[in-house]
Amino acid sequence: MEKYEKLEKVGEGTYGKVYKAKDKETGQLVALKKTRLEMDEEGVPPTALREVSLLQMLSHSLYVVRLLCVEHVENKHGKPLLYLVFEYLETDLKKFIDSHRKGPNPRPLDTTLIRSFLYQLCKGVAHCHGHGVLHRDLKPQNLLVDKEKGILKIADLGLGRAFTVPLKSYTHEIVTLWYRAPEVLLGSTHYSTAVDMWSVGCIFAEMVRRQALFPGDSEFQQLLHIFRDMHNPGNKVYLWGGEWIAGKPTEKMWPGVGSLRDWHVYPQWEPQNLQRAVPSLGPDGLDLLSKMLKYDPAERISAKEALDHPFFDSLDKSQF
Amino acid sequence: MAANFWNSSHYKQLLDPEEVDVVHALDKERGISTEDFKLIKFHMSNHIMKLAQHIKVRQRVVATAITYMRRVYVRKSMVEFEPRLVALTCLYLASKAEESIVQARNLVFYIKRLYPDEYKYELKDILGMEMKVLEALNYYLVVFHPYGSLSEFLQDAAISDVNMNQITWGIVNDTYKMDLILVHPPYRIALACIYIASVHRDKDITAWFEDLHEDMNLVKNIAMEILDFYENYRTITEERVNTALSKLSLKP
Repeated sequence: MEKYEKLEKVGEGTYGKVYKAKDKETGQLVALKKTRLEMDEEGVPPTALREVSLLQMLSHSLYVVRLLCVEHVENKHGKPLLYLVFEYLETDLKKFIDSHRKGPNPRPLDTTLIRSFLYQLCKGVAHCHGHGVLHRDLKPQNLLVDKEKGILKIADLGLGRAFTVPLKSYTHEIVTLWYRAPEVLLGSTHYSTAVDMWSVGCIFAEMVRRQALFPGDSEFQQLLHIFRDMHNPGNKVYLWGGEWIAGKPTEKMWPGVGSLRDWHVYPQWEPQNLQRAVPSLGPDGLDLLSKMLKYDPAERISAKEALDHPFFDSLDKSQF
Repeated sequence: MAANFWNSSHYKQLLDPEEVDVVHALDKERGISTEDFKLIKFHMSNHIMKLAQHIKVRQRVVATAITYMRRVYVRKSMVEFEPRLVALTCLYLASKAEESIVQARNLVFYIKRLYPDEYKYELKDILGMEMKVLEALNYYLVVFHPYGSLSEFLQDAAISDVNMNQITWGIVNDTYKMDLILVHPPYRIALACIYIASVHRDKDITAWFEDLHEDMNLVKNIAMEILDFYENYRTITEERVNTALSKLSLKP
């Protein structure tokens, strides 16, 4: 580890601290992710193991943060520590969006940039899904951004492939529910790649709105947010029909939803038009967004399909 | 752990048989022959299977553990990486990587009950070896197995013979007593096992094999390796294994 000079602590990951550091020899900036090894009990944390092995497999994509190497060192008490050495990106999408909402110069994100970021995100998600890996915790904080180059990369695969998405992280910080798909919130045990696409949809809307689409702070409230706000703008058919909200799910809309573990009877609201939530989005964008936010996971657009959506027609895809 | 083998690190890590059978220089000094080397890996695979039965983990975890163990010995010597401890540790690591976690202390408890004379290892030994094994594996933990393609093939070939299915699964399990998983793509191992089972059960599925557009020579070569193994298997005695293992503890 003498190779690196720690510059500052930049964050707290799912299972450890993250430092910005410099390779003393090459001057290259790196992100050092320290994993906490609970060596007295159960060795290398499975989350760390999973992240390392998935990254070894996935990180040859441009749209997944690159794992440069793994360093095993002992701290001053002789306890082993595992450092994951990643390429360094200056910021993440959450900070990037925040800087457009608050601060000295609040302004919307450039539409071309939103298009490009969303495209890169779909590329990265398609890459993960093509390898049979679900991310399960996609959110703006987990998307690293290079502002100058306009690059976006997926990071923090710690939850990849875990059977359950924990409510609380190891640091007892609440894991955000805002990007969580309804089938997960309703306790479905067999979920698929569609859970990531729901998150992609929420992130897409958030880039347009500069604020979260469904900011719930409990699982129940999260569902209420979703149920209340959802509305299919295209053909004026409610995605979450009145009948369904009253507790009689139509199997046509989402086969099997009523039998999900945490299904309850929910009150009925006057549904909002989705367009009202993202007024600045054009028809193509709105169409793509509504396909990402389909209730039935089987109907939700896949990352690969999304890449061919007309929303990206105006994008110069040769750069990707 | 992942669905697409051809994109995986496993595919990129497939080895030539010559690379797998190389006895490390340190082991050679102790008089370990290529045959001894294979015997010890065979023996350790059995220990992993037996222990796994007691702690009740899925077959997939067993298969992954044995694959780790065999990968370790492509790079490391048995003198430096004591086979029993490596076997235990690989099962521990595989249980984490395959998300059916076993507590290290349970492993220690059961292995001592199973083989009281052979295993003196404690919790801290496993945890200490864990890092070394991880580094030996270069943190590549995603492993593909023949089981996935096997189910699909059996379904596709419309083989409804229960015996045939059971025999095929059994043969696949047995392939982990060899190094096949380091050398061949898992789906091809699955095909070789189906081939053997079909011959054994007198099922003519030639037409199905032909439709696969797979080089049957490659499949048959694997099948021959497996049959050779079964032939040799009879001559493997406890004594031969013990002789091989005892060389490791001898000073050169």
